[in-house]
Amino acid sequence: MKNIFLITKREYLTQVKKKSFVILTLLAPILMIGFGLLIAFMFKANESSSTFNVVDKSGLFVGNLQNSKAIKYVFVPAENERALTSTLKEMTGIEGLLIIPQLKDNNFDDLEKNSQLLINKKIGFDTQSSVASDLSKIIKKEKIKTLGISQDQLNNLDQNFKLNTQNVVDNNKGDSDLDFGVKSGLSIVLMYAVFMFIIIYGVRVMRSVLEEKNNRVVEIIISSVKPFELMMGKILGVTLVAVTQFSIWITMSVIGALFLNTGFSAMQQQIPGGEKSAEMMQKFDLQQTATEISHILLDLNFPLIIFVFIVFFLLGYIFYSSMYAAIGSAVDNETETQQFTLFAIIPLMVGMYGSFTIMNNPEGPLGFWLSIIPFTSPVAMIARIPFGVPAWQIALSMFLLLGSSLLMIYVAGKIYRVGILMYGNKATAKELWKWIRS
Amino acid sequence: MLKAENVTKTYNAGKKLALEDFSIDVPEASIYGLLGPNGAGKTTFIRIINQITQADSGSVFINGKKLNPEHIKQIGYMPEERGLYKNMSVGDQILYFGELKGMSKNDALSQAKYWFEQLQIDQWWKKKLSELSKGMAQKIQFVVTVLHRPKLLILDEPFSGFDPVNANLIKDQILKLKNNGTTIILSTHRMESVEEMCDYVALINHAKKVLDGKVFDVREKFKKNIFGVTLAEVNEEMFESFKNRFQISDYSTLNHLVSFDLKNDNDQNLLLNELMKIGKIRSFDEKIPSMNEVFINAVATNN
Repeated sequence: MKNIFLITKREYLTQVKKKSFVILTLLAPILMIGFGLLIAFMFKANESSSTFNVVDKSGLFVGNLQNSKAIKYVFVPAENERALTSTLKEMTGIEGLLIIPQLKDNNFDDLEKNSQLLINKKIGFDTQSSVASDLSKIIKKEKIKTLGISQDQLNNLDQNFKLNTQNVVDNNKGDSDLDFGVKSGLSIVLMYAVFMFIIIYGVRVMRSVLEEKNNRVVEIIISSVKPFELMMGKILGVTLVAVTQFSIWITMSVIGALFLNTGFSAMQQQIPGGEKSAEMMQKFDLQQTATEISHILLDLNFPLIIFVFIVFFLLGYIFYSSMYAAIGSAVDNETETQQFTLFAIIPLMVGMYGSFTIMNNPEGPLGFWLSIIPFTSPVAMIARIPFGVPAWQIALSMFLLLGSSLLMIYVAGKIYRVGILMYGNKATAKELWKWIRS
Repeated sequence: MLKAENVTKTYNAGKKLALEDFSIDVPEASIYGLLGPNGAGKTTFIRIINQITQADSGSVFINGKKLNPEHIKQIGYMPEERGLYKNMSVGDQILYFGELKGMSKNDALSQAKYWFEQLQIDQWWKKKLSELSKGMAQKIQFVVTVLHRPKLLILDEPFSGFDPVNANLIKDQILKLKNNGTTIILSTHRMESVEEMCDYVALINHAKKVLDGKVFDVREKFKKNIFGVTLAEVNEEMFESFKNRFQISDYSTLNHLVSFDLKNDNDQNLLLNELMKIGKIRSFDEKIPSMNEVFINAVATNN
């Protein structure tokens, strides 16, 4: 036991002291945020805003055409039409002139035919169709109005059908769209996290085994400790590294969130009260959605989710990292690991991609089996957990995963024991089988 | 101190024989040479002592007790393939390996200090191994091996990688350890180091022990009663009759000195009497075979 502790300590300290660890730990969140911003920026970058002058002779559109981020409408008096048309070529900041003729005898077809958008530079298809749809929405309302329908009736017509779902088993309200979205999102995030971390830390274990094998330290160490102790110490050491990295990241995000929060509210206070623009309205909307999302999140059984996440991550990690340790011991250098690591990656991939179907039907047979079979359960169970999983299934899956982790450690220990002293040739599958049985 | 009885070890499910019916007896406070070509089975035997692998049959005893995990702490092992962590500081590794052998940190520190002074390397404590040369790393490896005051020291090719100066330094330390009561098993294929240092030797070839015993006895056993003689002022007549009675080889003359080897299975003093009649004896010595010759002979007769 003392030996395992010593090995764990060394493994932990060397990994944590590495420059790459410090840099990665500190930079990863920044990189993630940066990457997110970059994607957002790329979407933004191609988004240009166009401003159009509008001469509305019909009077139908004034006050009804809504400005959006991409398109701004500036209404100008009809007298300026001629002057604006002639100077449009030289104008900067104004991309076009929208001319809408007078409406005669409610002939909307004529109005459409005679409306014109003069432009001084190429506008995208998106912009063109946005303008068209903006106009047609207003025209549609006007057309309906001419049919003698009141505004109230109109609003009534626009209402969507809201389906009220009630689960009679657990007496909970059925999931709304937002509910479902939030849970799916959480499920994907948790699942990816487990998938990535199992592979990242598993590969770390493998590298560390290979390093000791390659620089022949291993022979000295196992003349002092049992190979099994060495392997376990290594796996535990890397576990602690993972826990450290997690804690740092969680602390960083909490601090970051607090910082952003105060920054956000300070910003809000600075906005002058009088100016109730559409932007403000949008923000209000966003806030409301955010509150709703946080309500949904708060309604989830977080202690259970966190518990399941930690247990399945750790067990899954131990299951796979012992596999990685065995792989590291059976080969001579990192390039040779590739064909073997497939064995460790493919089941996880199956679990992950299979879990996307879980989101459509969390209680389907595929979801059930994926979250019970130990090879896939670390990801699949975590994908299912935000949707709620019966306790007996969690218990069964956990029990099976625990059992197979222990079995995997045992099998890996057997391979490891022989593998670390074999230099110069890569073990074949047949040899591995022999080592396991010996 | 260490006794191996009929140790047999095979690999690949009995297909490859690594050690067959191998028995040796290593006395306390001696240097015992395991001699043999690469692949003879030396490393396998050493790994069995270190409990890295188990023998298929036979047993090993240390001080009369069957080999068990408790013995690990009494053994210091320097493998042929040296290995240390490249990215760890010298001091950290030494403490780590010391603690793995059950030492307390303070004990490991004070021992390390002693050895660093002995080997004149005290300024390296904080350096990373990757900053050291191969010879320097070898010294660290040696310290790691002896740090926990092992009663049994197993050195696999201890001098490979050392320049002559440092090889001597290490050799002196090994002899000093022996004089302080440490039992040392030295595995090598370099015969001359056995002649210089070992008290006992066992020759291994093709997984089998060919012969063993005190180095002196082994060499005696293989001597062929050949003597090297150098004479001055030779009486040609007497020499001719001498040549007819004795088997002479490697005859040469240089600056009026006559040298030759001769075989004589009878009393040496009688032979000397004969030689005195031929001329003045400049030198007379018995040709004891080197370990190299012993080994080649032993292997040849064994086959």
